[in-house]
Amino acid sequence: MDFHGRVEKQAQLPFSRAFEIAWKNIRVRLLRSLLVTSGIILALAFLTYIVCDDTLKRHIAKHGSPELLERLKKAAVLKALDDADARMQTWWLVGLALMVSFVGILNAMLLSVTERFSEIGTMKCLGALDFLIVELFLLESTLQGFVGTAIGVTIGLGLALLEGWTVYGSEMWGLIPFAELAKLLLVCLLAGTALTVVGALYPAWRAAKMQPVDAMRSEI
Amino acid sequence: MMNDENDSLEDAPVTNEAFAGQDGADVLLAVHVVRALGVRKTFHLGGEAVHALRGVDLSVKRGEYVSIMGPSGSGKTTLFNMIGGLDKPDEGEVFIDEVDIAALDTFELAWLRCHKIGYIFQTFNLIPVATALENVMFPMLFSGTIQADAQDKAAELLTTVGLGDRLLHKPVQLSGGQQQRVAVARALANDPAIILADEPTGNLDLKTGEEIIRMLETLKDDFHVTVITATHDHKMLAASDRVVYLTDGQITDIKRREDLDITVGTIDGKDTD
Repeated sequence: MDFHGRVEKQAQLPFSRAFEIAWKNIRVRLLRSLLVTSGIILALAFLTYIVCDDTLKRHIAKHGSPELLERLKKAAVLKALDDADARMQTWWLVGLALMVSFVGILNAMLLSVTERFSEIGTMKCLGALDFLIVELFLLESTLQGFVGTAIGVTIGLGLALLEGWTVYGSEMWGLIPFAELAKLLLVCLLAGTALTVVGALYPAWRAAKMQPVDAMRSEI
Repeated sequence: MMNDENDSLEDAPVTNEAFAGQDGADVLLAVHVVRALGVRKTFHLGGEAVHALRGVDLSVKRGEYVSIMGPSGSGKTTLFNMIGGLDKPDEGEVFIDEVDIAALDTFELAWLRCHKIGYIFQTFNLIPVATALENVMFPMLFSGTIQADAQDKAAELLTTVGLGDRLLHKPVQLSGGQQQRVAVARALANDPAIILADEPTGNLDLKTGEEIIRMLETLKDDFHVTVITATHDHKMLAASDRVVYLTDGQITDIKRREDLDITVGTIDGKDTD
């Protein structure tokens, strides 16, 4: 409806400014952020370790020198590769770890929304759009998720290489399937970040749907 | 709903130019900045209908200081939220600056809240992680003011409310009275037409509360704003041009300042200038 320019449509906040606010929110709630992040780190380190270790083993089983393979055969290291049950169990564990981390993120973000109920309401009273609220919460979780995943993936890779080194000896360094590992790391990185974003969707939506009236309420 | 500028009867809509510069807008001070017509609102709580407002008519003139008095449950907060563009009536109409709020979409309502209305809450509601300066800058961030300008203006406003030496303090480092001063500065940030203060003294001691009221009274004239407060606090009344008494969702009485002086004078036993 036209009110002769007396009312305009509220413009969206530029992304850079929203990013600044989200970054600040993380920094001032560093401890909380670290808790969320640590859950992601652990789960992603586990996932990365499992897939990297598996890939490394397969590659070495295929390309390793006869002496190394002989030695590994004696130590029964490569046997697990063909043990379908053991592999299944491992994947169950990975799935469980991811789920626990997902629930952790969901929980932490919901808590964060509840904690900031009046803050969100106030922001809306001051002219913030629903979109900005969603944007802020998603940005916050994406940043945490990305950092957590990056650390987790690095730890996972490190562990896989360390184990490989102790088991296969220095010969392993010449047998690393770089391209394949890089692809895996990228997948893990994306998966971890996606996990955090999905975990924050519902809390962010709830925050945005909050009525600004609630900030006015003096009774809590 | 028509809002034609040529339709200049007694409630003539205000032109765009008038909003551009409020200094030259004296002529327009007679215009009602808020008009509520037959406002009804019913809430459904657990299958039971609660009639928060049962037909409220209220007009507030530009530059007026109006207090809405009423016990809790009188519909005070509901009426308040309507005026603030936070809630829409079930029946009746609410005009803010001659704009029917029921006709606005969420983007326009957000714009209205950002540019036309300054909120002051009982619980101060400052953003805890931001400094006093940043808190005052928030509404300007949403209105798209250039950061440097916003910073200058925020500092200026904080100096006006007497906190020029506390720009970089966080809310926890400020007393209740100081926090409410920051909130007052924040409410003025985008040069609003209306300041809505919901029980602004509810969490303050007597002296501090009175200081905030005096400050609102002064700023009202300096910044050409209309102040509407909801309260059940008698000391709030001294600054009011009019007091609207609300009971059970209906206006039961409206008193002007002249009539009030006598009443408040006897209750408080002191001058109310």
